Amino acid sequence: MTNIKNQIFSSYQKNSDLYDEIYDSEGKIKPVYKKLFDIYGGHSIQDYVNLNSKAKSSFFNQGITFQVYGEDNVQEKIFPFDLFPRIIDSDEWEIIEKGSIQRSKALNLFLWDIYHEKNILRENIVPLDLITSSANYLDQMNGVNPPGGIYNHISGIDIIKHKDGKYYVLEDNIRCPSGVSYVICNRTALKRALFGVFNHYKTHTVTNYAENLLDLLESVKPKGVDVPNCVVITPGMFNSAFYEHSYLAKTMGVELVEGRDLFVENDFVYMKTIKGPEKVDVIYRRIDDIFLDPLEFRPDSALGVPGLFAAYKKGNVTLANAPGTGVADDKAVYTYMPEIIKYYLGEEPILNNVHTYHCSRPSELEYVLENIKDLVIKPVDEAGGYGISIGDRLTQKEIEQVRKQIKEHPRKYVAQPIMSLSVHPTYIDKSESFEQRHVDLRTFTILGKDKEFVLKGGLTRVALEKGNLIVNSSQGGGSKDTWVLKKQ
Amino acid sequence: MLARVANNLFWMGRYIERSEHIARYMNVNYFSSLDAPNQVSQNRQFVLRSMLFMVGAPEQDPNKILKEEDVLFKIGLDPNFEFSILNNVKQARENANSARDLISTELYEAINKFYHFVLKYPKEIFVKSGLYDFTINVSEMSAILRGKIRGTLLHDSIYAIILMGVNIERATQVTRMINTKYNDALLTQGNHDIMFSKSAEWATLLKCAESYDMMRRFYKKTPTSISTLEFLILNPNCPRSVMNALNQVYKNVKILNPEKRYNKNSTAFLIGRVRAEYQYKYIEEIEQDIKSFIENILKSLDDISNKINEEFFNY
Repeated sequence: MTNIKNQIFSSYQKNSDLYDEIYDSEGKIKPVYKKLFDIYGGHSIQDYVNLNSKAKSSFFNQGITFQVYGEDNVQEKIFPFDLFPRIIDSDEWEIIEKGSIQRSKALNLFLWDIYHEKNILRENIVPLDLITSSANYLDQMNGVNPPGGIYNHISGIDIIKHKDGKYYVLEDNIRCPSGVSYVICNRTALKRALFGVFNHYKTHTVTNYAENLLDLLESVKPKGVDVPNCVVITPGMFNSAFYEHSYLAKTMGVELVEGRDLFVENDFVYMKTIKGPEKVDVIYRRIDDIFLDPLEFRPDSALGVPGLFAAYKKGNVTLANAPGTGVADDKAVYTYMPEIIKYYLGEEPILNNVHTYHCSRPSELEYVLENIKDLVIKPVDEAGGYGISIGDRLTQKEIEQVRKQIKEHPRKYVAQPIMSLSVHPTYIDKSESFEQRHVDLRTFTILGKDKEFVLKGGLTRVALEKGNLIVNSSQGGGSKDTWVLKKQ
Repeated sequence: MLARVANNLFWMGRYIERSEHIARYMNVNYFSSLDAPNQVSQNRQFVLRSMLFMVGAPEQDPNKILKEEDVLFKIGLDPNFEFSILNNVKQARENANSARDLISTELYEAINKFYHFVLKYPKEIFVKSGLYDFTINVSEMSAILRGKIRGTLLHDSIYAIILMGVNIERATQVTRMINTKYNDALLTQGNHDIMFSKSAEWATLLKCAESYDMMRRFYKKTPTSISTLEFLILNPNCPRSVMNALNQVYKNVKILNPEKRYNKNSTAFLIGRVRAEYQYKYIEEIEQDIKSFIENILKSLDDISNKINEEFFNY
């Protein structure tokens, strides 16, 4: 037998400018990764190629796919999954978990305030026009009391590790954050392919998400309901996140409905079953605000339910997340998060914010326009990594274009220093070897009436293109299983 | 359960069952014709026409020479032919997709695997040398699906609806096979002194319904028209008989509607009525006019399916 030890990592190239999560500053494997490194190093590349294709077919057979519409046919593809897991030890996790809950709570209080007394706006801690000019601000929500007092029941917070080894929040997603099913599928796939590695680590489970979600939904039931009837509403099976919707409904044991399965009568919501109408009390909605109710929002929406919003305003049905939460995950509001946390909770933020320049402020606009090449320019109201420009990747001509766009709509853009996302060894199909790739982390936080929960895991997303900093799956990103270790 | 989803599950059951019967019909007919005892049955054109008749796309032009590869492709893998096995499996999966939250992971994975198997099966290989492999796999995978349905689902209304779909489709497909083979037996009679009642087509029919061995055990005689029809239509213990399927449908509708005395407009009442009719029929009655008998069964099954639709899926 030839010595195949660490054949897998022998060609791994470390760029010292990047923060590699498995090596320390002296180039040694960090203790927590040592065992994993040895186990993986014991495989030959050929083993690994086989395992990788097995993992892929596991996703395929589970039907965890998305559709790509080609010229004359529809192709099914799987989301790329990397077999080398990311490990977060219990101390680091504690910070992430506490920080995630802190942000969710502050955002909830903020939303209550801006749809009621508006104290934070009157005291000019957050500028009024920032809120009223937001495309996601819903006038209709003014004075509405959501059952249980909760707006952002489910939050997805995107966190990165910077060169300095500290965690920074990139954005809060409190509309319909998706991805949690991939956390669970990634775990399943890794277990199927490499169950042996789990013997050496005490890892927290991720399969308890659904039970906590159901607890949450039941905790925010409308007044006067004893045992609430909860459902998940989906735009339908052609939605790219349909797998997730059906997964959550299944694991919670509740119905997965479409708008056409529901109707409203006397401001109560019912679903059409084989035994006639059945009242619905709590709806975990995975359709956007504007499609919820054609009578109130977009009249051409075929996804929603006529009269739903009126039933909601009457307090007869709960919507999770509440309509109008999008105003708070606006990237311009993000920049006020440290102030928002201090204002409502009287605490210092646990997770750092990335410094942000508002193009709506003349002094900052000037700085941004002159330093585009050192900045990341983001539109404030887009999700999925769309519309982002990274300054040092732009040609002179592109810079001019971005400058022109910002000048035309300064409110639409914010800018941040180019953050260096940490890198993690990732198996690359093309070269059949491990290479450094940038990663981030999305955590999933649940906030209910007297209930808070952060899923101990989260979605580590990987930018598969070399050097790419955008990890969103819509931009060709993959993901990794993420292990949160139990306290020793 | 949502009415819309119930409808999808009902059809999932039907499409799974349908693809299996078509696959087995292709397999048995093709391979038993290779060394069939008479020239008509051995004739390739005869077999290909029989297959097309069975899937509801009979070739109208009696003089047209059919190309074997074209016919096999059409019935097996043609994405543009509504009744191809590929499209049946596709429909089964699409219906399962919309009810993914209600069925077990195990069942869904099995359906999904089935779909990818059919989708990826190379067309060239299928029409040249893969007929046996492909159709056997389709049969086996549908058997696995039935096992997963029985073994991994809660035996409640969801299960009842799927099984009603499966059994109505089974009765329909078995009746269609009887119809096709009845026609084939008529066509072969008179050739080389073959008698209609003793035609080799009856043995083929039994094999198409996976019932040949048990039929031999039951009658201990070579199959004739009368014993074959009796076995496949009236014998309640033959799992592929129309009678057995009706009993299953009746059993399952009771899960949906547990009342003791049924309203005369209910599905349960209609199923009970049709079932009672066949329970007290004897084969000599049927033999007098097989053609109208077949038409009657198909109509009764259609009526039941429409009634289910009206009572459970339409809100």
